[in-house]
Amino acid sequence: MKLKALSLTLAAMMLMCATSCTSSSTSSSSSKSTSEKSSDSSSKDTSATDSSDASSKEAGTASSYSTAVLGKDNTDIKADLKVLTQRTDLIDTVFAGYIKKFQAMYPNVKISYEGITDYDGDMTTRLTSGDWGDICGIPTTVEKSELSTYFAPIASLSELADKYEFIDTKAYNDNVYGIPSTGNVQGVVYNKAVWKNAGITVLPKTPDEFIDDLSTIKAQTDSIPLYTNYAAGWALTAWDSYIGGCATGDAAFKNQILPHMSNPFAKNDKGNGPYAVYDILYRAVSQKLIEDDPTTTDWESCKPRINDGEIATMVLGSWAVPQMQQAGANPNDIGYMPFPITVDGKQYASASADYCYGINVKSSDDEKTAAALYIKFLTEQSGFAYDQGGIPIVKGEKYPDVLSAFNGVDLVVDEASLPGEEDLFTKINNDSELSLESDQTHVARIIESAETGSEKYDDIIKDWNAAWTKAQEKNKAQINK
Amino acid sequence: MPHNFTNQKRLRGGMGAMTMKNQQRIVTAVFLAVPLILLFMFTYFPFFKMIQFSFYDMKYIGKRTWVGLQNYKDIFSRDDCFDALKLSLYYMVGSVVQLSLALLFAALLTEKTKGSKFFRGALYFPCLIGGIAVGFIFKFFFTHGFILDTLLSFVGFDIDSLPYWLKDTKINNWMLVATSVWRYMGQNMVLFIGAMASVDTTQYEAAEIDGANRWQKFFYITLPSIKTIVILNLILAISGSLSAFEMPYVVTGGGFGTSTYFVLMNTLAHKNQKVGLACAMAVFLLTLILIVTGIQKYVEYRMSDDYSKKHQSKRGAKI
Repeated sequence: MKLKALSLTLAAMMLMCATSCTSSSTSSSSSKSTSEKSSDSSSKDTSATDSSDASSKEAGTASSYSTAVLGKDNTDIKADLKVLTQRTDLIDTVFAGYIKKFQAMYPNVKISYEGITDYDGDMTTRLTSGDWGDICGIPTTVEKSELSTYFAPIASLSELADKYEFIDTKAYNDNVYGIPSTGNVQGVVYNKAVWKNAGITVLPKTPDEFIDDLSTIKAQTDSIPLYTNYAAGWALTAWDSYIGGCATGDAAFKNQILPHMSNPFAKNDKGNGPYAVYDILYRAVSQKLIEDDPTTTDWESCKPRINDGEIATMVLGSWAVPQMQQAGANPNDIGYMPFPITVDGKQYASASADYCYGINVKSSDDEKTAAALYIKFLTEQSGFAYDQGGIPIVKGEKYPDVLSAFNGVDLVVDEASLPGEEDLFTKINNDSELSLESDQTHVARIIESAETGSEKYDDIIKDWNAAWTKAQEKNKAQINK
Repeated sequence: MPHNFTNQKRLRGGMGAMTMKNQQRIVTAVFLAVPLILLFMFTYFPFFKMIQFSFYDMKYIGKRTWVGLQNYKDIFSRDDCFDALKLSLYYMVGSVVQLSLALLFAALLTEKTKGSKFFRGALYFPCLIGGIAVGFIFKFFFTHGFILDTLLSFVGFDIDSLPYWLKDTKINNWMLVATSVWRYMGQNMVLFIGAMASVDTTQYEAAEIDGANRWQKFFYITLPSIKTIVILNLILAISGSLSAFEMPYVVTGGGFGTSTYFVLMNTLAHKNQKVGLACAMAVFLLTLILIVTGIQKYVEYRMSDDYSKKHQSKRGAKI
């Protein structure tokens, strides 16, 4: 009897398991269909915006973002918003202040933040669950054609193109799915006092000058010439941001040329391009111009240390500057210089959007509207971009003082990929396992092999080129010689 | 009383209307349901999904394409997978050391040693700390000029002549293995102590009368009596060393040649978004572990009493 009961329950369990499987699969398929619907409806909406009233519920957020007036429209809206952010350091301070200001206009909107340290990886996994919150920075792993599966369209590209910088970063088929939080300029953070004490008066313009200066710092001061932040992992991906505009001066390089280029990492005669960027790192490490033990670096403590002058230089985007300034008693010692590569006698600096705020496609209509209002507030009224040392998103606003060293340096904003190739870079990037800008393993490999002498730089480059070519072939990309 | 019973019956409605046996069945089902649901939801369902995923070229998000056995072929054509597996050898050596240490401490602490309770607790303590916390402890422990170097300088080593424990590729894997041994040894020890406590004490008394010394008592009485537990722990330790993850992931992040199979799998799945390949790697590892366990089971069987009895009786029959 007992046996019978047991087998019965087991059978029941199997059945339940089976049904749960099927139900989960149906739910995922239904989610797909709803998302397709939403993107459909949104495209209808955008076509309809010109003629019809924008505030109808059906229209969702797509039509209301650009016309909504903060503090006047929808002030009685009720919603609970959850925001996911990579800026774990600002949640209790800066973001708490934003919430207060926003709630002064929208008292019934509750907002909570959740910080994620290993942002891109964790966020990608959480996106698949659908129930992650309402606003997040769109992770770089999401291909453009997949944006509509996870994010609600916020506005049409044509509406915002004249108003916002970098707005096409997360746009697909004329729909904007993410509003940039701030714009980064790619350069090098350094401690002015240390560089001055070492006797350096002119900032380096080429890789050779840069390496020479680091050697001088090592000889003249007690500071660590270049701090890699190896152990933090994600900090190493900063190096990938220089291979485009900074190293080539070509706005089309990253999204249009790189996916089609044959052996893009190979050395070129002019001493620029991606090869030169990683070469700086390899040389700095092999000439012992970095910290003694990269395996035990610590991200939080690097901030006060560069502020004190214990560290001379770090290669990080402009977002890092305010953090380094606020970490100690010498904010004025922190400077920001253009990346030391010269292209045909001129220096360039890439400018690009940081994470873009996206709205969960599965949030309720009220939540979507409230989220759009909060994003608008963050972008236009919070002053986030300026305060964080970035390029303001609203066109025509003042640039922060940190960028003063960039006078005479051309800012290069990456052009969007060619129509029909929106996903190509991301696909090749993932398939090659280089994962530029999203994973640090390839940069870590440079540091490791330079440190231990296990691999030559040119061998690594050969490997990367082979991986890139293989990924290009897999994705049937045309390779231009 | 019967009157009362019918009252209850009425109050309880449907349930009371059933026979005792049916009630028993329902209660059994309800009690079984919870663990079984959990088991299926968190073990079998993900497991079958994983096998399914291993035949696809897929990311966490986006389209999936069926590629058949391509992912499995890739495992064998990639160098990094087998390099990572080689690292398991370090951990296997470590697991032998770990088990010997555990046996030693267990043998010492089952005897009436002074403060044996304290030492049992102290040696078991590392198992109670989360793996991530242990990782961070050792990250600082091994940092140049920090705890380990300071301790060594107290006993006369020159700090400048000490190696970089995590950077030097000759020793960094041994350092990570040592942390693993530190963390898991207590667990083996407690199991051994438990097994040793159940050994019949009259055997020791008899051996003592025959004049056996401590080594003899250990090798001829204790060890044979706890053989099953030792082998079980060996299987666990070997499969554990094939799937070493926490220490290299937290302490070095898999850098400087410490990327074990699991760390590599994690990078491929979560960083490079090659979920299909990572799933295939997991299935491959599972097969490996099953094979290793199978071999160990066979050896265990060869060593067991049943086998020797059968063998002897056969031999006897021939004669």
